Amino acid sequence: MADHASHNTPDSSETRVAAVLGRFDTAAGLKAAAEKVRDEGYRKWDSHSPFPVHGIERAMGIRPTILPLLVFGAGLTGAIVAMFLQWWTNAVDYPFLISGKPFFSVPANIPVAFELIILFSALTAFGGALILNQLPQFHHPVFASEAFRRATSDGFFISIEAGDPKFDERKTAAFLESIGAAVELCRVPAAKPAIPKAIPWAITFVAALALLPPLGVAWYRASVKREPRIHPLHDMAFQPKYKAQSENDRFADRRAMRPPVAGTIAQGGLMLDTALFQGKDSEGNYVADLPVPVEESVMLRGRERFNIYCAPCHGYSGGLPEGAAGDGDPRSWDGMVSIRASQRALTGDGTWTPPRALHSDYVQDQPDGKLFETITAGVNNQGVQSMPGYAKQISVEDRWAIILYLRAIGRSRNAAADDVPETQRTADTGGNR
Amino acid sequence: MTVRTMHEIASLDRSRRTDSLGELAPRAAKTAWIVGGAGLALAVLSAVFFDDGWRHFNYSYLVNYAFYLSISLGALSFVALQHATRAGWSVTFRRLNEILAANMPLMAILFIPLALSLFLPAAAPYVWANPDLAEHSPLVQHKQPFLNVPFFLLRSAIYLGLWIWMARFFFTRSIRQDVSGDPELTVQMERFSGPIILLFALTTTFASFDWLMSVEPEWFSSIYGVYYYGGATVGGLAAAILAAMAAQRAGYAAQSITTEHYHDMGKLLFAFVVFWGYIAFSQYMLIWYANIPEETTWYLDRQSSAWLPASIALLLGHLFIPFLGMISREVKRRKVLLGFWCVWLLAFHWLDMFYLVMPSFASDRFPLGLIDLGLLVGLGGLYVGGLLRTAANVALVPTKDPRLPEALAFENL
Repeated sequence: MADHASHNTPDSSETRVAAVLGRFDTAAGLKAAAEKVRDEGYRKWDSHSPFPVHGIERAMGIRPTILPLLVFGAGLTGAIVAMFLQWWTNAVDYPFLISGKPFFSVPANIPVAFELIILFSALTAFGGALILNQLPQFHHPVFASEAFRRATSDGFFISIEAGDPKFDERKTAAFLESIGAAVELCRVPAAKPAIPKAIPWAITFVAALALLPPLGVAWYRASVKREPRIHPLHDMAFQPKYKAQSENDRFADRRAMRPPVAGTIAQGGLMLDTALFQGKDSEGNYVADLPVPVEESVMLRGRERFNIYCAPCHGYSGGLPEGAAGDGDPRSWDGMVSIRASQRALTGDGTWTPPRALHSDYVQDQPDGKLFETITAGVNNQGVQSMPGYAKQISVEDRWAIILYLRAIGRSRNAAADDVPETQRTADTGGNR
Repeated sequence: MTVRTMHEIASLDRSRRTDSLGELAPRAAKTAWIVGGAGLALAVLSAVFFDDGWRHFNYSYLVNYAFYLSISLGALSFVALQHATRAGWSVTFRRLNEILAANMPLMAILFIPLALSLFLPAAAPYVWANPDLAEHSPLVQHKQPFLNVPFFLLRSAIYLGLWIWMARFFFTRSIRQDVSGDPELTVQMERFSGPIILLFALTTTFASFDWLMSVEPEWFSSIYGVYYYGGATVGGLAAAILAAMAAQRAGYAAQSITTEHYHDMGKLLFAFVVFWGYIAFSQYMLIWYANIPEETTWYLDRQSSAWLPASIALLLGHLFIPFLGMISREVKRRKVLLGFWCVWLLAFHWLDMFYLVMPSFASDRFPLGLIDLGLLVGLGGLYVGGLLRTAANVALVPTKDPRLPEALAFENL
């Protein structure tokens, strides 16, 4: 840059001393000298060494940096910005329920806060270090010295700049010499180097260019276009395929969606076994027995499915004791939907048809096939769907497994003392159900 | 500082009482053992007289064992890390960590009561070892091929054996170098440090799974080992800093361990406080977000009314308060302040161990009692006694380490 500047100045022959440079042989010599320069009261000076010299900042009298405070402040700002951003977007501007989580909850927001703390801190540390060190610096008077190149190999230098209030060409040089330096004067052209005209033009051009995207976004947001939008990726916007419900001239009926060939059935869709799939025999009568094997594994599966799909309304035990139904006391209900719904029905908030007690004779006297139909299609009493059909949620085998478990509920809720094996009877079971 | 003055300081330190604790050690060790014995006696008496005392004793023993073990593990990983990175600054602090790590044979002996507790199923912290309880848990039955008494003991022996070997590997070579000054020993330790770190990571992870996580045999967390390691390093660094302060107070290593070394140890400690928080939150957030019953039970116990204060105390005392307290450069450069935070962090590290284990003993109350105090003092006395015995005849600074001049000349910018 020194050369560059000299080419642009008209009278490059005239020079001035911009700095006095002193070279020392060792790091220790540099440190000792730095202490003396510091004590002499110079302010605008620096030391240059090929490697970091421990303790040089103390020898030079450099005050501790405020950068840590800036970084701490930036970190706090990052945390606050992240929390505000997430609170505003998730809880205020566009609340969206995700798997039942609160709209605003601290644990979910910590990762973003953590990242923003780091981002803000790192950028502040990087930018702050540059600004506090007055970097980037394109030119320095010491560049005029040929000997200064040794600062990257074996030279230890102190430079005192002409801008220092105490600077005096001769006295400063003599002072550096007196503390053991090989002194050199750094001469630069007297006239202030002009900034090349291209630089401001280039900056203006880049700034103008940077304005284009936001302007484009603003324009497209504010205006109404009659022409189709621009498609930068044409083959992604227009793909050679037929979409659902569209036309296809290749076929006589011009439907792009093709119906299956007449008489074909999808795999697993035959369902000839009416007892298994409908709960009825070939004549349309409800089957009385389970069309699946009665085994412990089926019973356990039935209990599991029952507890998932049926218990929320009917309760884990299958319902209220005989005769207690309909007394309106929600606490007597088993099954959380029933409890909640009857609580609300008590205050006149909504309607609720209480579910049947599953151990009641009304249910237990029905054939297995009828129960299967109820689970499959639900219960519809004069247009009121009091129980939805569960064909979608529960597979055919699982419906039969639930019915097996229903029979077990009926048996256990209606058990008598005689049902307990003689050997296991105690005073507790003696008189009770 | 010229090279010559560094050597002058090194020789100055050598000529003073840096070399070893000498006669002071046996006397101090004796005191430590007497205090430790008294603590153990208190714990045993409390166990005899209190309701459910032996069960409490076993759980509490595990807490305190995990606490003192973590200090040695933290020190061991520190030593391995310094060799792996060929660090120069930390040479003056390395011997203290080598001594802390060399306490591993004592930890192997102290493991015996835990091993014996496996054969007292009703009072053992390891419920999976109790066939009556395991019978009711399909998950525990499923884990039986891994969680069974013989395999558990075999694995424990492998962990302890490997740790003893690692600690002795560094300790003996470092001591030998004090006499010979052979730089080849440093090269050897550096070459082995990489594989040792790998082995250390595996053994620490699985040991924490086996000894601590299996207290709750149905629960699991794959980050648990890292969590324990984070806490262990906090404990190890804090203990090493306090050990250096104690040694300097007694007049040892007066000029070799400087403010600069304390400052850097403080930085590392600060970093691991944050690391612990990072890992603890990583575990918490995944479990909180997924909200799966078999995973949330662990936190449910710790957020119930009895344990909630302990959880919050950990969050504040193990992370936020020391974070703000130690963030300043000045704090890390002042012995009194740094020492305060080391004691603080050791206390909260102990609470962390308590928090990991004790909710399995009593989830409905915070069961801090005389037994815990007795065992903390008891095992602590034995631990310190072991340290002093190891330290008796060795220099507290590796006097002929090839990087010692670098460490002595070290200054923070």
